[in-house]
Amino acid sequence: MNTNSNIYTLVYTTVIVVVVAALLAFVSQSLKSRQDANEKAETISQMLTAAQYGTKADLDKLSNTQKLEKYTEEIEKAFTIGLDGNVIRDLENLEVYGPKPLKRQNYNIKGGANKTGEPELPVFVFKNGRTVVPIYGAGLWGPIWGYISFETDNVTMGGAYFDHESETAGLGARIKDDPSFQAQFVGKTASFADANVVDLSKGGQIDAISGATMTSKGLDAAIDTWLAAYANYFSKEEE
Amino acid sequence: MDAKLKETILNPIFKGNPITVLVLGICSSLAVTVTLKGALVMALSVIVVCGISSLILSLLRNTIPGRVRIIVQLVVVAMMVILVDQVLKSFEATYAIDKQLSVYIGLIITNCIVMGRIEAFALGNKPWPSFLDGVANGAGYGLILIIVAFFRELLGSGTLFGIDILNRFGYVPNNLVILPPFALILLGCIVWVQRSIQKDLQEK
Repeated sequence: MNTNSNIYTLVYTTVIVVVVAALLAFVSQSLKSRQDANEKAETISQMLTAAQYGTKADLDKLSNTQKLEKYTEEIEKAFTIGLDGNVIRDLENLEVYGPKPLKRQNYNIKGGANKTGEPELPVFVFKNGRTVVPIYGAGLWGPIWGYISFETDNVTMGGAYFDHESETAGLGARIKDDPSFQAQFVGKTASFADANVVDLSKGGQIDAISGATMTSKGLDAAIDTWLAAYANYFSKEEE
Repeated sequence: MDAKLKETILNPIFKGNPITVLVLGICSSLAVTVTLKGALVMALSVIVVCGISSLILSLLRNTIPGRVRIIVQLVVVAMMVILVDQVLKSFEATYAIDKQLSVYIGLIITNCIVMGRIEAFALGNKPWPSFLDGVANGAGYGLILIIVAFFRELLGSGTLFGIDILNRFGYVPNNLVILPPFALILLGCIVWVQRSIQKDLQEK
């Protein structure tokens, strides 16, 4: 057979691509539940880090089951709110907001073609009094997200943890890898009345990461956008 | 085992090591060698990707249309890389490592060793030797990775596989060792040692 004819080449590449795609789709589907369980435990450990239940390194020593147990033990209440600050529904069965649901809500906050409905934002209140809320946005290469905790006064930040999909190792990736960057959030105040809720810039309230301008700017925008969406909830709580 | 097959396996480990002699795969060897665990997982991933894609492409070698040869190789290697990534993400024990290695697992596809061996060996040889060639090249790469990671974790964090070794004797971890430039210095030293042993590699 002439393996160099046009027809053969076309049929051959089509078959290869279809077979590979089918195989990958099958594997992805069959491993999905395991991956989701891992992701959930990871999200929980990130929220526990933000709520100051230990360093991320210490929490990572726990197994998935232990992480879930610790979360069940320490969570006071978890629910979602609308932009007006009113409760929409309670989060049950240890439902948490990892990067995928956060992405959806991010579209809903920002509006535009990808908007699927009104924003439904999660709030997690822990037994140590800290309230954890997520943030989500765009870094340099891909999405970045994280969790910020607030003290009982609802303006002082108690801690933060950030994660990313593909920021540059050693530069942008430091939003996740550098505990001293995250430690800067502890004790700082968020000014919900301002457009710039948290000032993350060179020499600002939170010092940005040198060499990672785009990631820092993206994180600043993500924090401002998301905390602004929570402004009504936090001001209501104060009264 | 005949001599040629033995040569196929042993050559990439030392005499024709992909990193120190062919100077391929340098980038990832700087990035993933901060901890031994990460280096080990990366080494195993590359062995699996290299071995199995060589095997598959060697089986297909007489049917692949010449004009889309590289694209077919790319599809198979990409498939293997995604499979490895998916499997690492699925197990509790490897999930954290996969997160730590982040983009570097996906970037195995750009590791010149994989495509290089397929192009140079698998397309012209029978499946079994091709599989062994892929595995051996992955192992040659992995060996250097593990040597570099051993020194970087020991001197940079004072630990091995996360277990405290030096810190209990009052050792202060050297932060320079954690940074990528030190991996390059270490690699240079390994090349130096290898060329002193293997005189025929020395340039006149």
